[in-house]
Amino acid sequence: MKQDKGTHYDVIVIGGGITGAGTARDCSMRGLKTLLLERFDFTAGATGRNHGLLHSGARYAVTDQESATECIKENMILRKIASHCVEETDGLFITLPEDDLAFQSTFVASCQKAGIRADVIDPKEAILLEPSVNPDLIGAVRVPDGAVDPFRLTIANVVDARMHGADILTYHEVTNLIKDGDRVVGVELVNTNDGSRCQRYADLVINAGGIWGHKIAAMAGATVNMFPAKGALLIFGHRVNNIVINRCRKPADADILVPGDTISLIGTTSSRVPYDQIDDMKVTPQEVDLLLREGQKLAPSLATTRILRAYAGVRPLVAADNDPSGRSISRGIVCLDHETRDGIPGFITITGGKLMTYRLMAEWATDLACKKLGKNVPCTTAQTCLPGSGEEPKKKASGKTFGISGLGKRAARGRHGTLSSKIENSDKFNSSLVCECEEVSVGEVNYAIKELDTYNLINLRRRTRVGMGTCQGELCACRAAGLLAKASGCAVKAEEDLAKFMNERWKGMYPVAWGETLCEAQFTSWIYEGVCGLDAFHTGKTAK
Amino acid sequence: MKFDSIIIGGGLTGLVAGISLQSKGKKCLIVSAGQSALHFFSGSFELCSAPGDYEDALATLPSSHPYSRMGVARTLELASGVKDFFLSSSIKLSGEDKRNHFRITPMGVLKPAWLTLDGYASVPSDRKMPWKKVLVANVGGFLDFHSDFLMAGLEKEGVECIPYIINIPELDRLRTNPTEMRSTNIARALTGNVLCELASQLSKAGAGCDAILLPAVLGLNDPENANSLKARMDIPVEFVATLPPSVPGIRTQLMLKAHFQSLGGTFLMGDTVNEGVFEGNQLKGIKTVNHADMVFQADNFILATGSFFSRGIKASSTEVFESVFGLDVDYTEERPQWYSPDVFEKQPYMEFGVRTDDKFRVSRDGNVLSNVYAAGSVLSGFNGLKDGCGAGVSILTALDVADRIANGF
Repeated sequence: MKQDKGTHYDVIVIGGGITGAGTARDCSMRGLKTLLLERFDFTAGATGRNHGLLHSGARYAVTDQESATECIKENMILRKIASHCVEETDGLFITLPEDDLAFQSTFVASCQKAGIRADVIDPKEAILLEPSVNPDLIGAVRVPDGAVDPFRLTIANVVDARMHGADILTYHEVTNLIKDGDRVVGVELVNTNDGSRCQRYADLVINAGGIWGHKIAAMAGATVNMFPAKGALLIFGHRVNNIVINRCRKPADADILVPGDTISLIGTTSSRVPYDQIDDMKVTPQEVDLLLREGQKLAPSLATTRILRAYAGVRPLVAADNDPSGRSISRGIVCLDHETRDGIPGFITITGGKLMTYRLMAEWATDLACKKLGKNVPCTTAQTCLPGSGEEPKKKASGKTFGISGLGKRAARGRHGTLSSKIENSDKFNSSLVCECEEVSVGEVNYAIKELDTYNLINLRRRTRVGMGTCQGELCACRAAGLLAKASGCAVKAEEDLAKFMNERWKGMYPVAWGETLCEAQFTSWIYEGVCGLDAFHTGKTAK
Repeated sequence: MKFDSIIIGGGLTGLVAGISLQSKGKKCLIVSAGQSALHFFSGSFELCSAPGDYEDALATLPSSHPYSRMGVARTLELASGVKDFFLSSSIKLSGEDKRNHFRITPMGVLKPAWLTLDGYASVPSDRKMPWKKVLVANVGGFLDFHSDFLMAGLEKEGVECIPYIINIPELDRLRTNPTEMRSTNIARALTGNVLCELASQLSKAGAGCDAILLPAVLGLNDPENANSLKARMDIPVEFVATLPPSVPGIRTQLMLKAHFQSLGGTFLMGDTVNEGVFEGNQLKGIKTVNHADMVFQADNFILATGSFFSRGIKASSTEVFESVFGLDVDYTEERPQWYSPDVFEKQPYMEFGVRTDDKFRVSRDGNVLSNVYAAGSVLSGFNGLKDGCGAGVSILTALDVADRIANGF
């Protein structure tokens, strides 16, 4: 394979999670010619599998001041630069009769030290503020928690990176790092859709692969001591609470309930998992029971609320370099210069951290990249709004008669911010709703297909919430598959994709398939397998 | 109020049982909560999807299957009368006597079928496609039917397909509300003069085709509009199922209900049974939500409340139960055993249902209720989806139970 001149970059960023997307944005904003690589889809790893909590930092205040301070700073920045991804809900830290009320004063003092507003409020006031909260609470502290949509946030970073000249390749997996002596000079890639191979070269490769970054570091000959920690969560069928509810105690299992768009999320569990399981996370019945039991202590109505699905992510926890046993695990940011650490020039790893601190992680990684590449450009990501937030673009006058109707338009505005003005409304077919649960219009689906790297239904779900609602894709999946078939010109591929999508939905449903969820599941099976005749053949598993 | 028989559930099973009993001179009440599997009708009833002649196919089913429990001979005897049974409600069905023909799904897949509703596209048992070239038409902007999928399937079978988008100004009214472009609303709009416009568009676009395939969006109340369209055209028009709601399914339910009522049956729509009045091992009467102060009495009762999606059977995180009377249910106790991780694999929960004796009589706390029968999807021991027998079990167990009640065996 010959090196194509057009494919030499200043930096290649590996990983389409929030860290990689944020790093690609920062690099391209500082004038570096950047390539962002993702082996599957954006947000396919831990980024798309967490609470979506806009931490105030209060959770870490007592145990980890450094993380707490980082969190509250980034919290305030994200409210400004990513306003369309953030809901300013505030959060409550409640003390229950079984908890030690004395912890509350330690908690408040630690919050104040970290610069986090923490107001002790009367339990009765807490119930008025958040009627779903456990009425037995004996103490409550109000903090500036919020909700953040990690899918939106990642896409906004990707869109901005592209607007600043970055190239983006999804469905490209790094199979090896190309080295010249000790120096990393490029990557070997395989297209995970069609199996084709190619190479890309850069002065610097940034490893932002999350838990999978362990493997990428190993390709360079470096060891990053990571510990996969599984966290399971449950999604409830409607928005139970409007304010984030936490337990006022040392962080433990299932003690955060976060509202997000149309739903609420309870999580998480925390358990170490072996490396060979990180690509196939299953939620066990024990985890479901634990989440439900603890969740009901935060909001008793969870006992009678329909559960939509269960899912689990893997946190990339990193052990300190001097502690191979992994006993001293930090959730802080880890930025490794492999040139000074391992004698491998041209290679940086950015890992650890949290969704909340992704921008700061990107800043650290890009600072180091600039230093190595001799660029002296300051970081501006904390001051510059992401696409979708900020000023509304000026509208061109148009004589179009059909527009996206109120419902779909308002929902699209919420999902895409000011970018929703790019959604086509010139065609009379565009206002029809594809997904009634989440109010996604034909126009919005087509916008995602055209502008947001959407090739299949899972991509589409992450971009628009199609199939995320209470019906979990009952009818909308087929409607959207039809639009994808039209766009790609390949109905057979779209049918296979639909079958895979239904299986992916089921994977999150069966751990919690009772009550209404089981009704919907049976109905969906009858529609897709019965009426439509979709079967295992379409998933490519068995020959016809 | 006193009846001979009370049927709980107004879907396919309940209506078939009701019509059968009412025609035998029994005074019936049907209490219907309003939902029915007919609302997502495929256009065909299935008997059994196993290959070969029905006689051989039925013999492959497990002993727990309602057909096996009735016996293959009895099952086939009942099956042979079904075409005429539906014709008495003015519902015309066609199918082969000994084996399955095929229906064409909206994805263009050929699926085994027993009896197909008049007007639906179907393929004979030898799989020989009836057309060389078809026009595949869809209503512009109708998202519950995608010509591309149907065409891809038909092309695999060697049929040449010409796509066509129907554009009728009268339908634009539906677009003012983003959720109105659904099958039932289109069916209401495609009537009267609009049919002339539709016929003229289709005739022009379909010139040279052997048939025109249309999504089944005509005729919500009766087959008149579909017949009127066909009468205006020289090329045969055939329907293919859409995503729910199914217009012909709703029509079938309405026609069965009308027939039941014309025979003198009483149909309580939108009501739910919430209590049983028991005496020993007999059910004497029921109470409903809408008629709380009244006891509806009967000699016999038929439970035709359906499976999970019809709420006849319900599950909590720890148990599966029958929703009306808390009857005995066949299911596996350990929840992880209810499912298979692959959605297209056999799902054990699909076979959960009420336990019945050899006469399909239900039991409570282990005691058989001597005058309460179950029929259709609420029964345990079969997988209607995988065995391709959902409608067959509904219709045939309904006829069987009705026969037992009427003839006292």
